[in-house]
Amino acid sequence: MRDPRGPWYERGIRTLQVLSIVLMWSFLAGIVSWVINMVRVSHALGDALTAAVGISLVAIPVYTLVASILTYVYFGIQRGRRGAGR
Amino acid sequence: MHNFEPDGRRDEALFRPIEQTTRKFWMTVGILVAIILFAVAMFVRQLVFGLGETGMMQPVTWGFYIINFVFFIGISHAGTLISAILRITQAEWRRPITRMAEVITAIVLAIGGLHPIIDLGRPDRLMNVFLFGRLQSPLLWDVTSISAYFAASTVYLFLPLIPDVALLRDRKKKHHWLYDFLSWGWQGTPEQWKVLHRAINIMMIVVVPIAVSVHTVISYIFAMTLQSGWHSTIFGPYFVVGAIFSGIAALFIAMIAFRRAFHLEAYLKPIHFQQLGKLLLAMSVIWTYFTFCEYLTGYYGGEPAEMRTLLYKLTGRYAWLFWTMLTCNFVVPVTLLSSRKLRTIGGILASSITILIGMWLERLIIVVPSLENPRMPFPHHIYVPTLTEISLFAGALAVFALGFTLFAKFFPIVSVWETQEGRQLGLAETAERVTGYLPDDTVSHA
Repeated sequence: MRDPRGPWYERGIRTLQVLSIVLMWSFLAGIVSWVINMVRVSHALGDALTAAVGISLVAIPVYTLVASILTYVYFGIQRGRRGAGR
Repeated sequence: MHNFEPDGRRDEALFRPIEQTTRKFWMTVGILVAIILFAVAMFVRQLVFGLGETGMMQPVTWGFYIINFVFFIGISHAGTLISAILRITQAEWRRPITRMAEVITAIVLAIGGLHPIIDLGRPDRLMNVFLFGRLQSPLLWDVTSISAYFAASTVYLFLPLIPDVALLRDRKKKHHWLYDFLSWGWQGTPEQWKVLHRAINIMMIVVVPIAVSVHTVISYIFAMTLQSGWHSTIFGPYFVVGAIFSGIAALFIAMIAFRRAFHLEAYLKPIHFQQLGKLLLAMSVIWTYFTFCEYLTGYYGGEPAEMRTLLYKLTGRYAWLFWTMLTCNFVVPVTLLSSRKLRTIGGILASSITILIGMWLERLIIVVPSLENPRMPFPHHIYVPTLTEISLFAGALAVFALGFTLFAKFFPIVSVWETQEGRQLGLAETAERVTGYLPDDTVSHA
């Protein structure tokens, strides 16, 4: 029976965890570029109201905050492990 | 701080549904999957034959799908908003409720968010929203706000789940890799608790304005048009109030179902139902007040198109649905919830079911009658839903039930660490807080 605490197993799990954080930041990058592109196109067409731009822009700080909190918790938990960095 | 009770033996009842699979579980999953498969088959049929398979036709271009979209997104407010408010106010009775509330949000948001896609005649053109979306469309605001709320509420569900996932990992019974992956190396050291508490505290404050803004933005898809019955300045708060109202009712149904299925009587006590029941009663009264304001302003203006739609709802074809809605959302809950004797678990269940029916009717009464009475001279069309639409509604409800059932199969439906924290720290903290509210002895003697 496989030892779940083997080094490869643990390394694989760690990699997946880091990848999930990277995925969140990639998602944020996608959202930011999408919204910025829409604002740019709307300005070019002259058809965007200021309020409409504002409402859509709100998503950017929300995603940034959510991604930052996830990153903070993940690395905070890693730093707080018994014996970590000691 | 440390892991409160590392083996969690005292709360064995919360782990039992995860570690033991009963025949009832498989039967429930089987029935729900069958309903979902039937709904998928009906959706495929709609894809092949087009939206002609639905009861929608000019000028009624929104039907069951948009009603369900607003209804499900509304229910999603149960979770995060209620959980966050109870955490912020340090309501000690929140502990067995918050997890269920947060799960409702995550599942229902995903279901609600899919409905506008089902409503598309050509879902294969969905990418056009991203490639050629126009910012001045409130529908696009919905895409950004719902996806932001989904991300925030999923994280808000996940963070308090970490210590419980670590407990499951340490019990070493099932799904090692899943719990190893999701526990993020949690050991319950003081540094880790500090980080987690800080993050939960930030999230519980942030999710409140996000949740409120989401349903406000959803109301804008109606209120930003000049359509009679929709162009209203109070639609934002009216939608938010209705969302919280239906959300609490859905939460009650989930609480009662899991209490019975998992024998959680020791955790979900009558006092929890009593306390949350008062909130439901308050929301019923507030919703009725908003409904009164909304209809009175429309009536008093006397604008012909507005009056036509209003009378269509109050005395016309939709009158029986309108008065049923008022009975379900006001008469029944106020009767059952205002009396302590009737505010039993049975009474609360009855109120919650009628409220969900009433709130669904409210969404129907907002969407359809206005479209059946357009300002432009369209030929009149009466909307009657088809089997396809009804099946997809049943399928959505089944997805909700299945999502909840599967979540409860992998994770504790009541937060174990918060229950243990309540036992060990909550009592002392509450006593200290209550002492802090009281006048200081030295001051009163002076």
